[in-house]
Amino acid sequence: MENITVVETSGLSKRFGNGVLAVDSVEMSVRRGEVYGFLGPNGAGKTTTLRMLVGLIRPTSGMATVAGHSPGDPAGLAKIGSLVEAPGFYPYLSGRENLKVVADFARINHKRVEEVLDIVELTSRAGRKFGTYSTGMKQRLGVAAALLKDPELLILDEPTSGLDPQGMAEMRKLIKDIGQGNRTVLLSSHLLPEVEQICDRVGVIRGGKLVTQSTVQELLGEEGVLVTAQPIDRAIELLTGMFGAAAVSRQNGSIRLRTDPASSLEINSRLMAAGIGVSELRPIERSLEEAFFQLTGEKQGS
Amino acid sequence: MIASIKAEWRKNRFRPAFLVSAGLIAGIVVLFYSAEWYQAIHPGGPRESVSILTLFPDQFVNNVMGAGFPLGAAMAIVLGALIAGSEYSWGTLKTVFTQRPGRLTTLTGRVVVFQAWMAIMTVIIFAVGAGYSAVIASAQGHAIVWPAAIDIVKGMGALWLVLAVNGSLGMALGALFRQSAAALGIGLIYVLAVQIIVVRFIAAFNGGTYKWITNWFDGQNATALLSSFTSPAFGNPTPPTIGAEQAVLTLVAYLAVFIVAAAALLRQRDVT
Repeated sequence: MENITVVETSGLSKRFGNGVLAVDSVEMSVRRGEVYGFLGPNGAGKTTTLRMLVGLIRPTSGMATVAGHSPGDPAGLAKIGSLVEAPGFYPYLSGRENLKVVADFARINHKRVEEVLDIVELTSRAGRKFGTYSTGMKQRLGVAAALLKDPELLILDEPTSGLDPQGMAEMRKLIKDIGQGNRTVLLSSHLLPEVEQICDRVGVIRGGKLVTQSTVQELLGEEGVLVTAQPIDRAIELLTGMFGAAAVSRQNGSIRLRTDPASSLEINSRLMAAGIGVSELRPIERSLEEAFFQLTGEKQGS
Repeated sequence: MIASIKAEWRKNRFRPAFLVSAGLIAGIVVLFYSAEWYQAIHPGGPRESVSILTLFPDQFVNNVMGAGFPLGAAMAIVLGALIAGSEYSWGTLKTVFTQRPGRLTTLTGRVVVFQAWMAIMTVIIFAVGAGYSAVIASAQGHAIVWPAAIDIVKGMGALWLVLAVNGSLGMALGALFRQSAAALGIGLIYVLAVQIIVVRFIAAFNGGTYKWITNWFDGQNATALLSSFTSPAFGNPTPPTIGAEQAVLTLVAYLAVFIVAAAALLRQRDVT
């Protein structure tokens, strides 16, 4: 994977007329060929950021380069396929005719319309009017329109929004397939399993600020080991001597150790040698959900 | 530019609102001719009698001009408001603006196609008027004599201009309100009520001192331009206060202002 950025923002901010600062100095970097997940709770500024990247909204300050051009530049738009929020099509035209309209605007040969209909598996229903489509079909048509240009960069804003579980699974598979090869996908979502399954790197936005940007593995990071041992105080003393006080914490009658799970064998041997009974010793991994809630300050289950 | 025109044509050629309007305006011309014909051959009703001579083909240009204002203008406002406003409510503006052409290129394509539709409406009005007048002449055993080609072309140009100006007003309002309902409502109220009341007020104010201001209203100029085609066969009209040339220039200026206003709104504002 070449380490060339396809999307680069610097101090990107948007304050709306009503004074709301929707996006605050976002520094985002999306590399060529990766599937980048843009995570954040509802109202965090994801859609506003994406709208700025495709030139629908002008930033109040800061700058962005998208596919080598300023947002909204026709030369840049020629390399970008996007689906921002709900797909917008003409309800009185068929799915196929809608794609032909988009193809005309993008100066794409109509042969490509049939290809993208095939990719999103909508060929058999392409003759029906868009106004009669189900939510899933509308989303698929939106993705088809985004793929028309065979884009270098694909920007998808919550593409599984409104879909039933089967539709979500199909859409995720589709995005995964689309993201193969050299194409870059920037995907916004508030669905953590979706991002965990599909994305290589993630950026987490909260209150308009990008709070972190890393690989999914790095974000999950901080692996550890959970130890349940008796007497617990002696066990804590021993483990503190081994790993330092900062790595050891008490958690519901157990001990949480911030260390590589590979050291589990050594931990067990030392505890046993010290005459401490070990009833549980297992690696713990932070889920993306946990990491997300920690970063965004949201409460789980709220 | 060509790509945008092609795309706009593809999306608007079967648009129900346009097809319905075309049928409606044709129906209105038919209704007008039918009523006038009936009245001409059945004189003595409460209304002033209609001379059958005014319904023959040589006078059809004068007749169809009546469809231009305020009826045609009102339909043009509705269509203009729909073509601009529905892009916001359907979310299609963001789909279009994220394709290759820039915003002004997209608007240019839309304006070209919309004005082409206004030309199609004009042709329909003229074709139906000409056809029906020929039917009347044949039925009455009168020779079919057409007006001079130049008069037909001038008439079509004048009618198109009136439709184009009002349609552009609808487009500008659609871009301003980012929806079609408010745009067409306000546009219709302006053309059918507000403008008429304001013109009457100014004309009467202070003994008519400021009546000259009324000569700059688009409705006044549209009426003056369409009335300039009235022939003596229709009786002796009141001498116009606005000449046809001035009316054309004023309407062209309105057309430019409305299109520039729509362009400025589309170019500058965020698509949220």
